[in-house]
Formats: sequence, C-alpha cells, structure tokens
Amino acid sequence: MLEGASSDLSAAARPKDAAQRHDTGAPARPSEPRPEIWFHRRINLFSAVKDLWQFRELTITLAERDLRIRYKQAVLGIAWALIAPVILMIAFTLLFNRFAKINTGGAPYALFSYLGLLPWTFFATSVLQGGSALVTNTELLNKLYCPREVFPIAAILDAGVDAMIATCVLAVLFPITGFAPKTTTYYLPLLLVVLLAFTLAATIAVAAVTVYARDLRLALPLAIQIGLFATPVVYGASSISTSKAFLIIYSAINPLVPVIDGLRDTLLIGVPPNWISLGVGAASSLIYLLGAFLLFKRLEVGMADIA
Amino acid sequence: MRNGTIAGEELWKRFRLDARPTYLQDRIATIRDRLRGQEGERWRWVLSDIDLRVEPGESWALVGANGAGKSTLLKIVCRVMYPTAGRLQIAGRVGALIEVRAGITPLLTGRENIYLSGSIMGLRRRDVARRFDEIVAFAELEGAIDRQVKYYSSGMQMRLGFAVAAHLEPDILLVDEVLAVGDAVFQQRCLDRIRAVLGEGTTLLFVSHDLAAVEATCSHGVWLHNGGIQTRGPIRDVLAAYRAAVEGDAKSRTGRVEGLIKVAEVDAVSPDGGLPKTGGELDVTLTLLSDERYRAWIYLGVTEGAATPIFLVNPGREAIIGPGKTRVKCTIASLPLAKGRYYLWGGIYRWWTAGDELILWQPLTEFDLYGPQLGQAPRAVVRLSPLHVDSDWTIESA
Repeated sequence: MLEGASSDLSAAARPKDAAQRHDTGAPARPSEPRPEIWFHRRINLFSAVKDLWQFRELTITLAERDLRIRYKQAVLGIAWALIAPVILMIAFTLLFNRFAKINTGGAPYALFSYLGLLPWTFFATSVLQGGSALVTNTELLNKLYCPREVFPIAAILDAGVDAMIATCVLAVLFPITGFAPKTTTYYLPLLLVVLLAFTLAATIAVAAVTVYARDLRLALPLAIQIGLFATPVVYGASSISTSKAFLIIYSAINPLVPVIDGLRDTLLIGVPPNWISLGVGAASSLIYLLGAFLLFKRLEVGMADIA
Repeated sequence: MRNGTIAGEELWKRFRLDARPTYLQDRIATIRDRLRGQEGERWRWVLSDIDLRVEPGESWALVGANGAGKSTLLKIVCRVMYPTAGRLQIAGRVGALIEVRAGITPLLTGRENIYLSGSIMGLRRRDVARRFDEIVAFAELEGAIDRQVKYYSSGMQMRLGFAVAAHLEPDILLVDEVLAVGDAVFQQRCLDRIRAVLGEGTTLLFVSHDLAAVEATCSHGVWLHNGGIQTRGPIRDVLAAYRAAVEGDAKSRTGRVEGLIKVAEVDAVSPDGGLPKTGGELDVTLTLLSDERYRAWIYLGVTEGAATPIFLVNPGREAIIGPGKTRVKCTIASLPLAKGRYYLWGGIYRWWTAGDELILWQPLTEFDLYGPQLGQAPRAVVRLSPLHVDSDWTIESA
C-alpha cells in the first residue's frame, strides 16, 4: 500500500457493492456528489514531511538534471556560479566604497560586500529559479506523482551548489585583502539554518502562488532587485539606524538581515552574532516557513487542474 | 488490498468552466463580476460518480469519445490530480505511459536521459544500469545513445521515452494513447511489450481510440460517456455497445448531403432484393440532382462508421452529371466483408481526385450484411479491417 494514498483521500465509505452496477446500462446519475464524500485536504505536517523525505532521490535527480542542462552548452561552465557575485562585488567596491562611506567595522569592503552577496545570491537564485519551477515543469507535474515541493527544492539545491562554488572565491579574497577569518566563524551553521529556512519559505510560497497568478513571474525580477537594496548587502544594517527596536523589526520582516550581519560579525569582526536580532530572525523565518508550507499544501491540490 | 489493486468509489471531478484566472487581470475581472452579483465561478463536472475496481493482474480499457473523461480518470488514478469527491485506494507502484516524451530533456544525451528519466520515475541508478542495454535495444538507439536528444527525430524521442517507461516494472501500468505516434512496427512492439508486462502480473489500465488494439489487449472495459460510466464489463460487450453508439451517430448524419449536386436517393441492396451477403453483389443506385452540367468523378467506399473506408470502389468513375436528374448505378461484384453493419460513403469531385468537391466525402446510406461471423483474433494480433476471405485448410501428419 502506498503511504498516504488512502489517508489523503477522505470520505465516508458506504456499504455498497461495486459489482451491483454491472451492465445496468446508464443509471440515473446524481448531478452532484453526496456532501459527505467531498474531498477535503487534511494537512498533516508530520506525514507531509515524511512524504517529502521519501522523494529525496527524485529531488536530487531533478537538481542534477537542471545543473547539467545549465552548464551543458556554457563555455565557461561552472565558472558562471562565481562570475556574477564576483563582478557585483567588484562593482560595489568601486562604487559604494568610493562615493558612500560605508561602515564595515574595520574589514575590507570587498570582503564585507562579498559576504553579503553570497547569501543574497543564494536567496535570489533560489526564489527566481525555484519560484518558476512548477510552471516550467508542467509536463512532469502532469504525469508524475510526487509532493510538489520537490521542484522548488531542487532549484534551491542547485542554488546551493552555485553558492558553494562561489564560496571558494573567499579562499583567494582573504589573502588578497590581507585579512584572516576570525575564530568565531564556528557560528556559521547557525546562520545557515536561518538562511535556509527563510529561502525555503520564500521559494515554495512564490512557486505555489505563481501557478495560480502567472503575473508573479514577471514581477519577480523587479522584486528581487528591490530586495537587494532592502537587504544589507552593500551596507550594514547598522548604517541605517542603530536603534534596537528598528533592528528587531527589520530582522523580523527580513531574516536575511541577521544572517548577513551575523556572517560579517563572526567572520570579519570576531564577535558572536547579535543574539536578539538573530533570535527574532530565526523565529520569524520559522513562522514564514510554516505559513509557506501550509499555503503550498493548500494550493497543491488544484495545481494539476491549472497547470 | 493486494498490490496492483485500484479501488475507486464514487469519484467526481470538476473543472472551472470560465477562463482560468491565471493572470491578475483575469482574477480582477472575476472579482468584479462577483461584486456585480454575477456568479463568478462556474464549474463543469468532467467525471461523475465513477466506481472502478480493478483486481491485480486484470487489464481494463477505458473507451469513449474525446472529452469523456478518460484521461482525467487516468490522472486521478496516477494521483497527479485530486478528485473533487470520492474515495480512491491504490495499492502498489504506479507506472504511467502518459506523455512519454515528458521528462526527456533535449539538451542531454540519450544515455543521460535514460538514467534521468529512470530515476525520475522512481528507479534507482543501479536498476537502470542493470536494464540499460535492454532499454537501448528496445528503443533501437544503439548508434545514437551518446548523441544529444535534440538531434533525435521525434520518433526516436518517442521510442526512448517509451522504452524507459516500459521497463519500470510497476504494479499498475497506466497507458494513455501513447501508440498514436511511432510507425506501425514500433506500435506493434509497444503492444507486445505491454502484453509482456501484463503476463508478469501487472495491472493494466489502457486508454486508446484504437479499438482493435484495445480488444487485443484488455479483458475488461469501461465505456465513459460525458464523464459517467455508460457500460462496463467484458471487453467484447463494452466495445460492441460502444461501436453501436458510434455507428448510430454516423447513421444520424446520413441523409444530410449538400453540395453543388444533391443526392436525392440512395439505394444499396443485393440484386435479388434481399440482404447483401459475404462474397455477394451489392447494387448501389444514386439519384443525383444538379442545376448545371458537371464533368465529375464519383467515388464510393464502405466503412465501419468512420470516414476511413475498409475499401474504395476501385477505380472511381468519370461521369457527366446534370443538368437535371442523373441516375448512377454501381455494382460491387463481391463483398469481402464479414457479418455486420456497414456504411456506404461517397464523394463527387469535379475533375479527377484533386478537383473541387461537388459532394463532400460523407455517409450516404447503411446496410446490414450477413455471412460468416468474424472470429476473435489471437492474443497480440491486431486486425485492421473486418474482411472475410474464403479459405480451405489441409492438415496432414507426415
């Protein structure tokens, strides 16, 4: 018995012999189903996650496929993963560092902005690619059963691979700038968890809504561009305001704020992350994730009808 | 429930009837309509009250006209779509031969695609590797397997998709009109493969408009009509009922003959006045009315109801028609047909076959024919036409 097959489809069974209707021609049919057999999706978080886990191989396969396709005919191949953030970093360093004096806490601006660009690029790529993953995979969606999250999640995996490649640039950037990462770098996993949770939340929410409102696909690049400046990538959060209340609200709305600030604090300055800001960011990204997942599961039912 | 069982009770499915609001402007229009008090959402039931129980190892066909709900039902069994109401239980792994080219990526090579679509459909890398040679041989792609699929012909892509899907070894196999593409030889191989899978105890749910293939493959059938089950049972009974309905539809169209020439009367009878019989003669008499004088070619053909004839009277006949009443008589010397109901189709063309149509190719009349009944074709053999040819056997043991 396939897991969840019967639990998903709820209805009151009634004692009735299916063979009874054999060869009776066309019996008078009711015009609507009985009210008690209407399908209502029961969202069970635990079984949904378990279901997703069972399709982990498919997720990896889809990610692998997209990765192969992306670099199949690219002359520079995998190097593209670092070209974008490096160029942006150079541009930001030339522009912002010269014309706007940004408080980096003593670290070289190139490192400072690159540590902002890495998580931001990961986030933006995930949302852009993953957000349209359901629309671009309509064919598979219509023939293959799987929890629909696997498509956006595969896109996040790809963005993760790119981010890891782009991270290698740091191995060059640190010596060039004559700077060394601080020992507090070990806080990194904590920051990554928050980053992942928020990225996942944004990506699956966008993916699900895009199926129903295709406009979102057109609006997304614009939103991402605005997001770049609404996130402390080229500047630090402290450059806007030093007020504690502001930082908390900022972190709650945009959990990338404590992630990027935390990266700079731990790697470049050598202090632990701002616990209040990070705590708020973690809590809010968890709420985002929960909300996005529930939204996704709710919209999932009708996806095949629309796609 | 044993693996391979499909148990659907009271399945219902509805779709939006209005334009689906996938863009913001549509959605705004819908909301505006609703504010004005117009009903914003309208629905159409594409499946209503479907009971379907398939036991392991059985082979069921879904037949019916376009839009009857066959593919929707298949998608629900595939769990790609959710039913609007009802209860569905599926035991075992489901493999679908639906849109077999979906999942084939043009940019990758055939080899990469086999591994990819294999694991997309739930096989492990190891399993694909074990069957790799078999799959390649089945798809007949030995020479092209390391080429990018975008350089494949559409037939090759089709074969690749089918070959992977057909080697999945599922408990339940769903097949939706995949045989429409591909040449005759490959279609036959696909059918053989499906039957081989059946022989291994797989449950089959088969959707096709190729009734001959359906008859040769399935033991049971369901005839869907406007989203409901019209008939179900042994495949021969279901197909007989379905064919009768299709033919009835063709019959209702006879008599509506219009064009530059009018067909006033059609007769198709045996010369002795009785029913035409196998190997016997058929006298066809057409009475045509025309205002002008035409030099025209007349073609006649016999069909089972659809427009494609079992045979055309060969060759056609050139004739001067009109002005006024013209009587055309054609005697078909011997009818090579088995017992059944047949339709006489005809068309009249100005000047040879490529000329304008004076009368469209259309059913003129129907006739019942008596003679030997058509025996059942052996398993895995698809008969194209209900021809009967007299024969004589001699068997000697040497």
